[in-house]
Amino acid sequence: MAQKWQPDFEKLVDEHQSMVFSLAWRMTGDRGLAEEVAQDVFLELDRHMARIESPEHALNWLRRVAVSRSADALRRRRVRGVDLWVEIEEKHGSPSEERQSPLETRLEQLLSTLPEAQRAALVLRYQEDMTPEEIAVTVEAPLATVKSNLHRGLKLLRAKATTNLKEYIRGL
Amino acid sequence: MDFEWPDQPEEFNEFERELKQAMERRPAPPGLKRGIMQKRSARSTERHHTTMIWWQRLAASLLIAGVIAGGFGWRQMEERRRGEEAKQQVLTALRITNQVLNNMNRKLVEHDRSDNGK
Repeated sequence: MAQKWQPDFEKLVDEHQSMVFSLAWRMTGDRGLAEEVAQDVFLELDRHMARIESPEHALNWLRRVAVSRSADALRRRRVRGVDLWVEIEEKHGSPSEERQSPLETRLEQLLSTLPEAQRAALVLRYQEDMTPEEIAVTVEAPLATVKSNLHRGLKLLRAKATTNLKEYIRGL
Repeated sequence: MDFEWPDQPEEFNEFERELKQAMERRPAPPGLKRGIMQKRSARSTERHHTTMIWWQRLAASLLIAGVIAGGFGWRQMEERRRGEEAKQQVLTALRITNQVLNNMNRKLVEHDRSDNGK
């Protein structure tokens, strides 16, 4: 009988912190909030460690919870009445973001203006290189909905990019 | 693993490629792991503390329940003892009364006999 996989929390944090943080940042559009979300996601993982069965399970669990907690954080923020998009404008324009290329910064700005479901689908697709089937499992939505979100999101993003990023992207 | 749309023009694929490039994972902030480990440790301490409090509460509850049950049992025993004592006293009183009545009866019988002899 194969030996049961024993998850090592610290190792999982090392391996996946960049993925969780990037997902949260792209979903929320706010670095500080993304850091909070990433911490919460890993602390939740710690509570669920006994139920994690394999490295793949850990990775999928982290992706699913990161997307869902990011959406929750955004909703909480909206309820509190914070003008998120004004904040995003300020944060993306801050000097700490200077290491990013202008295209990346602008694309992320545009991405953060998409509807939540489309944004989640696009981030999982292009950051995590997931197939629509895998995304459907992760976000617990029908495959047709995910495909539609991907298609519409991509179209919308491209349309926005056409007016804003013509100078950066060859495919426009 | 390109995700092709059937009616998608070539420039759309180019845009997807650009997007993929722009959306690479970012390095996590240096303090993220430290923050997670600190919160985890704090939570573990807090959880331990909470568990301890619950055990203390449980122990205190059991002690109080024991004291109450003991007190109740003692009271019942005491009432039973007192009842038994009262019963014995009544029986003693009845025995004494019975003796007194017997003596009186005997004296009356003797008195009747002496009256008839005269």
